[in-house]
Amino acid sequence: MKVLFLDAPYTGTVELCQDTLEYLKDKKIKNLGLYASVQFCNNLANVKMQLKELDINIISSQPKRTGVQHQLLGCDNYHDSLNLDAEWLAQIDAFLYIGDGKFHPLALAYGQEKEIICNDPIGKQFSVMTKKDIEQIKKKQKGAFLKFLSSKNVGVIVTIKPGQEQFKTGLLLEKKYPDKKFYYFVDNTISFDQLENFPFIEVWVNTACPRIGLDDQEQFRSGVINLKDALNRDEFLG
Amino acid sequence: MTLYNSKFEKAIERIKQEQAKTVCIQLPDGMKPQAKEIEEAITKETGARVLIWLGSNFGACDVPLGLDRLGVDLLISWGHNKFHKLEGW
Repeated sequence: MKVLFLDAPYTGTVELCQDTLEYLKDKKIKNLGLYASVQFCNNLANVKMQLKELDINIISSQPKRTGVQHQLLGCDNYHDSLNLDAEWLAQIDAFLYIGDGKFHPLALAYGQEKEIICNDPIGKQFSVMTKKDIEQIKKKQKGAFLKFLSSKNVGVIVTIKPGQEQFKTGLLLEKKYPDKKFYYFVDNTISFDQLENFPFIEVWVNTACPRIGLDDQEQFRSGVINLKDALNRDEFLG
Repeated sequence: MTLYNSKFEKAIERIKQEQAKTVCIQLPDGMKPQAKEIEEAITKETGARVLIWLGSNFGACDVPLGLDRLGVDLLISWGHNKFHKLEGW
């Protein structure tokens, strides 16, 4: 079977609304990390012009899994996801996300230390996302990680979705944690309602979309952590 | 199809080029209400049988499996561009 991806670009005007412009001015932002969801990536000329008028420099990149410059995916939720040199990343005062919804800008909130300014070109709305928005999730993530470290029986969730499947990398857990017993559970879209049928699992490791280990924590009564964090224990515990 | 350019012509061109007899369309949630119009338009333009994917469309990482068993020749996944998978995220 062949596959055709059609990115369905937004056809309306993409520009910063008045509230966004005023906020940028008030904050005296000089260097802005500019990212967007794919529908808006090829239509950012007006936004760039508006930022130029405010004398704001744009710093951006093409994250490794994406197809175009400025594009942000929901799974770009780690500090190194943006494919941007540390030197450039450090210069960014704040991020500007162009698009609607919270899914994509939350990726920046999870992975980056700076404030995220969101400009929705469809609803012409401005909002700001900060570390406070994800405070509870981060606390739960830490709690689940500590539980993982002290657990013996661990359930590893592996998806068969080709784009998300990380079975081979998941097997590395056995080398990293030889004292634990890992049980591998396979699914397509994760069936959260089935988790309770395996009460011997003390904690779960998610190897599918990394957003599951963050956004869907409430679905895992026993707690869940992401594979990348489990494999990079020292970095995660910081 | 009012707010977004659905690239419908590109879809039709590809169906004809592949001589696809059975096509599955996977739509983002925002386009799902337009499935009726898309299904009818593709059928009219190409004569292909159109199957509408009911499930998720989280991204280009979320391509439906098992469509070969239904004889699907071409999957058209709307709303995303190509995804470059990385091992270990």
